[in-house]
Amino acid sequence: MMEFVSFGFIQRALLTGFLLGATCAVLGVFVVLKRMAFIGVGISHAALGGVALGLVLGFPPLAAAGVFSVGVAWVIGWITRKGEVSEDTAIGIFFPTAMALGVALISVSQTYRQGLMGYLFGDILSVGPGDLWGLLLLTGFSLGWLALLFKEFLFLGVDEEAAKAAGLPAAFLNYLLLSILAVTIVAAMKLVGIVLVSAFLVIPAATGQALSSSVRGMVVISVVSALLSVGAGLWLSWLWNLPSGASVVLFSAALFFASYLLGTVRSRG
Amino acid sequence: MTCPRCEGSVLDLNDVWFQYGRRKVLEGVSLEVPAGSFAALIGPNGAGKSTVLRLLLGILKPKKGTVSVFGRPPGKHGQPIGYVPQGINLPRGFPLSVEDVVLMGRYGTIGPVRRATRDDRGRVAEALDQVRMAHLSNRRFEDLSGGQQQRVLIARALVSDPCLLILDEPTSGLDPAARARFYGQVCDLQRAQGLTLFCASHDVEDVAQHAQTLILLDHTVRASGPPQDVLKSRAVSEVYQFPPPHVHRGEHASETSHQPEDSPVEGGHP
Repeated sequence: MMEFVSFGFIQRALLTGFLLGATCAVLGVFVVLKRMAFIGVGISHAALGGVALGLVLGFPPLAAAGVFSVGVAWVIGWITRKGEVSEDTAIGIFFPTAMALGVALISVSQTYRQGLMGYLFGDILSVGPGDLWGLLLLTGFSLGWLALLFKEFLFLGVDEEAAKAAGLPAAFLNYLLLSILAVTIVAAMKLVGIVLVSAFLVIPAATGQALSSSVRGMVVISVVSALLSVGAGLWLSWLWNLPSGASVVLFSAALFFASYLLGTVRSRG
Repeated sequence: MTCPRCEGSVLDLNDVWFQYGRRKVLEGVSLEVPAGSFAALIGPNGAGKSTVLRLLLGILKPKKGTVSVFGRPPGKHGQPIGYVPQGINLPRGFPLSVEDVVLMGRYGTIGPVRRATRDDRGRVAEALDQVRMAHLSNRRFEDLSGGQQQRVLIARALVSDPCLLILDEPTSGLDPAARARFYGQVCDLQRAQGLTLFCASHDVEDVAQHAQTLILLDHTVRASGPPQDVLKSRAVSEVYQFPPPHVHRGEHASETSHQPEDSPVEGGHP
């Protein structure tokens, strides 16, 4: 174990993973509450279009993916709020289109395909000191807003009409939550990759929900479960030479099933 | 008794028109509700009842005409309005406690960034006490019966110190006994605090027993006045296509308003 944490790249991976895991876990409470799991899947796949645009046009891929994903999330939010197309349909149209754009752009050059694999499946072990600052900025943005407006997002998720009636700016809060979701997903691509990031948004929160009797308890257990998943997942990946993203998500899922069983046994008792 | 902060007309709609896309929902609706009264908006599905409530809450804007609440356009921060919806639809298993739900009624007052104080929690306890739900404050909201959930939502509305309660189909899904208890309790609160009540409902017989004014809406106001007069009007049978219900005012209310309601399970569906 001591040998595991003595490497610089492992320390950076753990720090990044803990930050992203905690952010995803807190955000996951709202993803579960507002039933946004599908939009999470959609944004993560749309991010591929942003990565591809960045690679082809020579912009930093993470920054390009961030701007692109936030833009697509806003368009979905706007169309849905107009009420003429359902959210599911809007996601089903826009996100595959954005992903197809990414695939088409990437196919232009063989060189870009190598870099793309890291975004598809995650490569947290390759986080360099420079990447760490960018990720700190992104997770700081998300965690900061979530901490400042936690109770407002909660009210919005529970009863949007009552929140509006109480004078909360529902439209602004909805767009802000979509932006936080897009930014967090883009940041977490480095940890678990586009394919697995949406699972990381849902599973720790579901674990928290299964074991707690209050929202505060759900947040705490979700964060603890995400931190455990990152630590144990990376250690197992190092031990058995597994892909780091898959290892983190599998450990997270194992925690969920254990908590689900525990919750079921407790409720019967 | 009327709320000391209110006088005159609390709600005012003047020649209000509204449409969703090409579908006209409200056509020249005018109505007025005086302070301290209980007015109920009745009408069939699609008559525009929920649209009127959304206009009063400032969630929608009229295409034409004016809407005012306490003499000002609705939706302004700080208006003393409590809103009681049909219910809240939480994901199964979401661990939201009764106290968490009621505390949300204070969020408009607390403001962003700041946290709830001991005083806010004290107000939550008082509001739960008023609706006789204090003993269930730590229970999960989803574990309550339909009637209990509605009482918690009333507590959430009361915790913001409202002069006006707007209720949207508050008894849908409740059995007749739970409906009668609900309206009895709401009327007790109205009398004790001088609240103005404005309620949209399908339960014509129930609201007719308790409201002072019935407003029959079918895209426009078809009849309005004391319940007995409105129910006798031809407009009721034209709108509902059946004879108006026979209502004995007062009997039910006195029987039901003080019944004990502490049992954890009561009528209605969670």
